[in-house]
Amino acid sequence: MAGEAAIEQEAPRAFDPHQRDTVAAAMARIIPSDETPGAREAGTIDFLERFLSGTGFIYAKPDGSGFETLSGRHEQAWRRRIDILRRRYAEGVRELDGRSRHRFGRDFVALAPQEQDEILRAAERHEAWPGGEAPAADAGTGPALQQTSAEIDLDFLPLLVLHTRQGFLADPVYGGNRDQAGWRAIGFPGPASLAEVHSGRYSTLAWFAEGHTDPSFENRKPHHGA
Amino acid sequence: MARKPRPDRAEVCIIGAGASGATAAKVLTEAGVRVVALERGPWRRRESFGGDELANINRYNLWPDPLLNPRTARTSAAEPAREELFCPVPQMVGGGTVHWQGWLPRFTPNDFRLRTIAGPLEGASLADWPIGYDELEPYYDRVEWAFGVSGLAGANRFEGPRSRGYPCPPMPMSRYAENFHRGCAALGWNSFPTPQAALSRPFGGRPATVVSAFAQQHGDPTGTRSSALNVFVPQAAATGRYDLRPDCYVRELVLDAEGRLRSAVYEDADGDLVEQEADLFLLACGAVESARLLLLSRSGRFPAGLANGSDLVGRNVTFHEYSAAIGLFDDPVYAWAGGGYVSASSFQFYEHDERRGFVSGGHVAAAGVGIPLPINWRLPGAPAWGAEAKRVDREAFNHSMAVAMVLHDMPQHDNRVDLDDGMVDAWGLPVARITLTPHRNDLDQGRFLIDRSAEILEAGGARSVTKVYAERVTGNCSHQHGTARMGDDPAASVLNRWCQAHEVDNLFVIDGSSFPTGTGANPTLTIMANAWRVCDHILANRGRFARAGLAASGASR
Ligand SMILES: Cc1cc2nc3c(=O)[nH]c(=O)nc-3n(C[C@H](O)[C@H](O)[C@H](O)COP(=O)(O)OP(=O)(O)OC[C@H]3O[C@@H](n4cnc5c(N)ncnc54)[C@H](O)[C@@H]3O)c2cc1C
Repeated sequence: MAGEAAIEQEAPRAFDPHQRDTVAAAMARIIPSDETPGAREAGTIDFLERFLSGTGFIYAKPDGSGFETLSGRHEQAWRRRIDILRRRYAEGVRELDGRSRHRFGRDFVALAPQEQDEILRAAERHEAWPGGEAPAADAGTGPALQQTSAEIDLDFLPLLVLHTRQGFLADPVYGGNRDQAGWRAIGFPGPASLAEVHSGRYSTLAWFAEGHTDPSFENRKPHHGA
Repeated sequence: MARKPRPDRAEVCIIGAGASGATAAKVLTEAGVRVVALERGPWRRRESFGGDELANINRYNLWPDPLLNPRTARTSAAEPAREELFCPVPQMVGGGTVHWQGWLPRFTPNDFRLRTIAGPLEGASLADWPIGYDELEPYYDRVEWAFGVSGLAGANRFEGPRSRGYPCPPMPMSRYAENFHRGCAALGWNSFPTPQAALSRPFGGRPATVVSAFAQQHGDPTGTRSSALNVFVPQAAATGRYDLRPDCYVRELVLDAEGRLRSAVYEDADGDLVEQEADLFLLACGAVESARLLLLSRSGRFPAGLANGSDLVGRNVTFHEYSAAIGLFDDPVYAWAGGGYVSASSFQFYEHDERRGFVSGGHVAAAGVGIPLPINWRLPGAPAWGAEAKRVDREAFNHSMAVAMVLHDMPQHDNRVDLDDGMVDAWGLPVARITLTPHRNDLDQGRFLIDRSAEILEAGGARSVTKVYAERVTGNCSHQHGTARMGDDPAASVLNRWCQAHEVDNLFVIDGSSFPTGTGANPTLTIMANAWRVCDHILANRGRFARAGLAASGASR
């Protein structure tokens, strides 16, 4: 896929190697690998680094042919947002390491998976720990019912969960959901590419309705690519 | 900011090119009126839309970016307001219809006289509408036929009389609709196919929908969903009389010496200030932004905001609240297919029934869970991460659906939109501040509707059901009304029955601002029908308005 080639070439970076390893390890606990692929196989860390690398990968072109170039106020807003998010990740990694060293005497990446879970749970609950203050719990936002939410309002853990989920389940053009691993894991027949939706070829009629007889819907074979 | 030379005076200037503004543009330009339309957002073509959940739902591709367009909210005037993305609606040509799913039920005859039907409700400011269902019916019909709404006439037992049926048959029966209808039938409750702004067959030169999963909250690259952008804007443009100027943000409405509206001052895409004069002004910014613009437009005559001698501008705001009961089924329901918000509704608990112990009721309908696409789907109560979260995703994504309600929240004098004194938007203007305490009636009605929704799921075969009660009114429906009530009494309303400001005779407010009550149904069919009605009135009195306008323009030059 063209998108993937582009990632290899540009390898956009937002983290230093230790930050990258730490976030990737945490993501692997957010969506673990089992008999189906998890965050690691789907490449959620690549998705995230690409997102946070600048403002060049915010919106894919709707036909999947590349990314939009932002300008003016929109570009400024995104730059501000990405700065805030990068800072939150830098602090979050420090917090995970601080908690891990305090509890287990090692950095987060060096812990066993169950130990990592314990640290993530403590961070999620804002449990107090001697090495740092527990940041006040944000009221947070529950799962969106109908509306979007302001992601910079999220604490580190919910933010990490959200971005892991995005990297697992967003269109592969964004660098995660590699080979549609995320979509296949939950059984979503996503389009083969954004171009399929853009051109009107992507239909979910076969999942929508069973055995319908409306003639206007005949000759409409569902097409879901790969 | 530089000031540009004044463009030619217009006969009519419409501010906002969303649902109501585009309806007005179509009706007026087709009748021969030259219209200048000022729209703060971009004019996006359908080629710019796609099937991208991340961009559209999570990254503000169509939603207003909260860093540029913040709002603040609080539950009472006694507390400080916090920054909150309260009831956002896309700010672009087409407005909220650009990425809606387009449920288009009509209001019922009793919706226009709730105060009479239910009597006074303590703490609420219930009022009858100055118009009735019969006056709107012809316009409901026109919008339905202009849009090619799909639906089944007569299927909603609680609907008022119709002059004719729907132009398109209902959408094919989805699996989730089947569950819904089965549940209602088992309980003896009426249910019907949700009237929908999607083409179930080719109509008006547009093909039938492909039934993509990327519908709600996505722009439509195929042009088969009916919207202001797909239907009314091109129809108005085809007349050659629609001067639609995107990226033009109106900052203030300016009076002339006689107290009539002279001009709208806007910032254009270059950041320059332009003053547009017109005979008549139609405000169509959505109920929150229209109130904000009136409040931003202060003058010696109107120190508290334009047309606000009554201190009612911004008050009595209603928003609806969206919440749901969620059911898990053994057989897959694929409730994301088709965009997840389609096909089956009930008005069984819509009409007022005093035996229930609360006023009025709302529309319930089959829906996907939350935003039913992979990233944003989530089962309430399930863990957010870890092995268990992954298991729930895998097992429930295709097996879950919701029955959702539109909660009819009660108008209250102290629930209001005003200007925040501590925050400005990216253009330097004070943002809208929402002050809103839910009425006890809102919470009681919400619990009742969610309980009935859960019963529909159970009777429809769900293996387990979770209820999510509305705890407060958060504006999450993107429905907004009431900020400039219409009524016959100038002391108790901002607009008259023609949505003309009592205090400024060449100003009309044609969005949901005029609604005295929010009702329990999705409002936009009524918003558009009402805008059409107002424009017919303007056309019938065109000579009078134009003469008055010319006199005023003579005076101002
Ligand atoms: C996701 C979603 C789903 C929805 N689904 C449904 C549904 O199924 N059924 C239903 O009935 N309703 C639905 N709605 C609600 C519907 O979109 C609104 O009720 C409708 O768009 C309101 O119409 P309006 O004309 O009042 O305002 P809008 O359509 O919001 O248009 C207002 C326009 O004014 C412009 N504007 C604002 N301020 C200024 C200014 N100062 N200068 C210039 N221009 C300005 C805005 O940019 C905007 O384009 C949905 C909304 C959303 C967001």
